[in-house]
Amino acid sequence: MGKSHAVDQAIVVENLVRRYGTLAAVDGISFGVPPGTIFGLLGRNGAGKTTTLECCIGLGRPTSGTVRVLGLDPTRPRDLAALRPRIGVQLQATSLPEKAAVREVLELYAAYYGIPSRAEEMAARVGLDDKLDRQIAQMSGGEQQRLALALALQHDPDVLFLDEPTAGMDAFGRRILWAEVERLRDAGKTIVLTTHYIEEAERLSDRVCIVQRGKIVAEASPAELVARHGGDATVTIAADGFAPDDALRRLGTWTQTGVQWTLATHGEPGLALAAVVTAANAMRAGITSLDMHHPTLEDAFVAITGETLGEQE
Amino acid sequence: MRLLRMFLVQARMNFVWYFRRDGEMIFWTLAMPVFFLVLFSFAFSSGPNSGSSKFLVPGIIGAQVLSSGFWGVGVMLATFREKHLLRRVYVTPMPPWIFFASLIVYRMLLLAAQAVILVSVGALLFHVRLAGNPLEILAVLLLGTATFVSLGTIIGALARTTESANNVASILTVPLAFLSDAYIPIDRFPHAVSSALRLLPSTQFIDTFRDVSVYGAPLTGYGVWLAALALWTVAGAAISARTFRWV
Repeated sequence: MGKSHAVDQAIVVENLVRRYGTLAAVDGISFGVPPGTIFGLLGRNGAGKTTTLECCIGLGRPTSGTVRVLGLDPTRPRDLAALRPRIGVQLQATSLPEKAAVREVLELYAAYYGIPSRAEEMAARVGLDDKLDRQIAQMSGGEQQRLALALALQHDPDVLFLDEPTAGMDAFGRRILWAEVERLRDAGKTIVLTTHYIEEAERLSDRVCIVQRGKIVAEASPAELVARHGGDATVTIAADGFAPDDALRRLGTWTQTGVQWTLATHGEPGLALAAVVTAANAMRAGITSLDMHHPTLEDAFVAITGETLGEQE
Repeated sequence: MRLLRMFLVQARMNFVWYFRRDGEMIFWTLAMPVFFLVLFSFAFSSGPNSGSSKFLVPGIIGAQVLSSGFWGVGVMLATFREKHLLRRVYVTPMPPWIFFASLIVYRMLLLAAQAVILVSVGALLFHVRLAGNPLEILAVLLLGTATFVSLGTIIGALARTTESANNVASILTVPLAFLSDAYIPIDRFPHAVSSALRLLPSTQFIDTFRDVSVYGAPLTGYGVWLAALALWTVAGAAISARTFRWV
């Protein structure tokens, strides 16, 4: 990653290191985010995603390395002051005052940014329009997260930083957030999000960085990561009297486990599946089970990191 | 205009969120001091006009100034940090001084309300009259508030958790209220002890405030103590500014 792209990128991070004592939470991370794109930092909890994001918004101080957001250096007070009105932030585990009502929090943040309050409009955008007078303490975690999103968006920032934005959200909240994020990208905004949800990274990101132990271990579009690291698509069939013939063997590599045959293919797994079924029928083999697996970002993640994201909290 | 609006909205929200909707706060700040005044007035006195109420009204107001600074600002800031509220406002364009100013002004208005209630109860039940120049009384009250807000902010700056902030505030406020001429006259202690206690900013403030407010002493006689309070204020603010952490 050279220094030449510094101007046309919305965000440039170069050799970022953040140590806490002897522990390097971030250990030499570099990336650039072009304007109008969604950039995903994917990794397990503790991988260094949040620390990286915090260094971009002035909440964390790099031990070494440089960060530029919209050409500004968040470690310099003057730059940070110029940057704040232009960024929107949804922090992980943000807590708002318990007795505050939705409308009041939106009003207060409008005052912070010197814009007219858009409480009703913003509440509607995140599906809280019937909860304007609800107090924080009476809202679910997902509702609070949606309010946090509204607070990040209200002043129409150029760059949005979302730290685990859908953690603890239900399917409804997730759909709202994903739609908002895509809408904003289409409106030309730049978005950085951290997540440990594969599905979220795959669905939203134009580019994904896989972060492991403070380092970037892969960076590409989700499709490229899957193509490069996800492995072959597979077709698995269990059928009485089935055995791959020469034509089927040309589709890829076959392995047998008991009555079950698995084909790993570089080609289009749908076509391979059709060929397998046709052949099985021609052999008059009774199919008892049939499965097709397309490689996913999760397969790529496991291949790259040797770890799963799985259930973790 | 933009900053004024920011300040006013923040101050209004402080009042609504941390006072009006918090029954416990209303009890501790409005009912409890009055309860103390009435209880101690009867406990320490032989009759309604014995003078103990005259001692207690400014003393209890003074104790409230202390707890306003230590709890209302110090512990509050530690709580804000622990609940990740400070990080959130730190990434907005709101200047930090607006945040502090709105918290301090909210506590000052609350103190003013507490003072008015205590003075009124003192006047109605125990015939306590304010004797001093109202502007001088207000000036001492403001300076004292500035001192203890400033010292309280050190707690907010240094305490790692709400719990430790709470402990420090308790350790300071409760003994100080008894050793600073707030509830009981320190003249009753041996001379060496009471002289030593007069080195405390809390004693300096409460004594000045009492003498000026209910005994009508002119402020001009208290230059040294006022200067000492100003010094405590500046020192506290300087330490807080150097050590305060938003995250």
